Amino acid sequence: MKRSPIGLLAGAGGGLLVLFLGLPILALLARAVTGGLLPEAAGASAVLEALGLSLVTTLASLALAVALGTPLAYALARRRVRGRALLEALVDLPIVLPPAVAGLALLLVLGRRGWIGGPLEALGISIPFTTVAVVLAQTFVAAPFFVRAARTGFAGVDRHLEDAARVDGASEASVFWHVTLPLAAPALAPGLVMTWARALGEFGATIMFAGNFAGRTQTLPLVVYGEFQAGALDAAVAAAAILVLAALGVLIAVRGFGWRRALDVRSI
Amino acid sequence: MRRSRWLPVVAALALLVPAACSAAPAGSVELTVFAAASLSDALTAAGNVYEVDNRGVSLTLSFDASSALRTQIEQGAPGDVLASADMANPQALVDGKLAVGPVVQFARNELTIVVPAANPARIGDPRDLARPGVWIVGAGESVPISRYIDECLAKLAALPGYPAGYAAGVASNVVSREDNVRAALTKVELGEADAAFVYVTDAAASDAVEVVGIPAAANVEAVYGSVAISGSRHPAEAAAFVAWLAGPRGASILATFGFLGPAGE
Repeated sequence: MKRSPIGLLAGAGGGLLVLFLGLPILALLARAVTGGLLPEAAGASAVLEALGLSLVTTLASLALAVALGTPLAYALARRRVRGRALLEALVDLPIVLPPAVAGLALLLVLGRRGWIGGPLEALGISIPFTTVAVVLAQTFVAAPFFVRAARTGFAGVDRHLEDAARVDGASEASVFWHVTLPLAAPALAPGLVMTWARALGEFGATIMFAGNFAGRTQTLPLVVYGEFQAGALDAAVAAAAILVLAALGVLIAVRGFGWRRALDVRSI
Repeated sequence: MRRSRWLPVVAALALLVPAACSAAPAGSVELTVFAAASLSDALTAAGNVYEVDNRGVSLTLSFDASSALRTQIEQGAPGDVLASADMANPQALVDGKLAVGPVVQFARNELTIVVPAANPARIGDPRDLARPGVWIVGAGESVPISRYIDECLAKLAALPGYPAGYAAGVASNVVSREDNVRAALTKVELGEADAAFVYVTDAAASDAVEVVGIPAAANVEAVYGSVAISGSRHPAEAAAFVAWLAGPRGASILATFGFLGPAGE
């Protein structure tokens, strides 16, 4: 097939972007592999501790985002909500905000002298510098990704199918679980992945709000930064490579899962 | 004068956009000085004076932990001078042929303890820092002040009246290791942390903290050293600034911020 000059140009542009996005990751992994850094890092307790903390906190953030984000997304998709535009802008805001702004804002509300943090402090509960703060920081920046996806998913469900289930005597809860949720799943799955991935990569809000301490608030991205600051480039590369591999693995695995779910739904 | 922590990023972008790389106008020299976070106010003031005294030289200052700045220089960040809160980091650059020795001592400093003005943890003495439940913020392990703090804690622990396991008790109360000493100071100013070890000059720069003194017998002398960086495009001007900073004019400005002059003066 003969390609037009514009097609060739577009192809070259796209290829350049793939190179631009791929080369840094390749260089990172190459340095980790050729330097034999991965086995070393995999055996380093600091990296393992941070990886474990990252997994636990991101799963907690994801659970929080789903638990609180699903009702909100459903309401935004289905109900008449007053001030919808403002509400949607508010929910999307953390996606646009620099994470450092999020960290500062969280400190002002949940810090030991914050609007909520102050009264909590009087009760003997402090949030900053704890693992809870890490989860809250991650949820703040990542939950909007789930709400966006779920909103689109719920809005796209054919209401006639739900009505049909109701006619057959299904309860509202049953309609939601057995009709709405499965039909919205193809949109929810990528939302879950994006939310988790954003939480995994969270750095700025975490270091400002939760601080940086091994085993408690030092997630893998903080290890990468900390090791680099300390001049331990190899350790930084090793931690970064583990982060890349973990993220890549999940993205690829879930991509496959997402397609299967989509096909399952279509075959209903 | 601009302050920037993003020189490495800018440098990376400059690689992509060669046109953006063109230097300052002819006839003027722009010196980039990487400086310890604890020098933030003092060196900004000193730099203003230097620019007035030396027409045609403008300074760009970049403040962070000395160890982080050393890393940036090792990774090729384009700078002309490193003004460090210790002698070890600039010496490491000299040993690695990345800076022109010898390291010139230009100031000294001491440690103190800061607490929020309201002092929620009721810290009145360094001994109180080992009490369970006190939230202390420190700096990264490789940051110069962390080594000074370790020395100070060891000396405190040896004083009469300090309990066994004092240093370990303090260490176990550290809840966060911030980027640099000024970030730790900020967390105390905000009231998020109960206490931090900082330099005397950091405490003097803040209105929002109270000072808890360290007994003179246990205090530690922080020695600040600077070097001209080898890759500098203006080696003569860089060396001149290093010498000026250690000289009487530089020392007198730093003294107004509470820094002690270099030893042997």
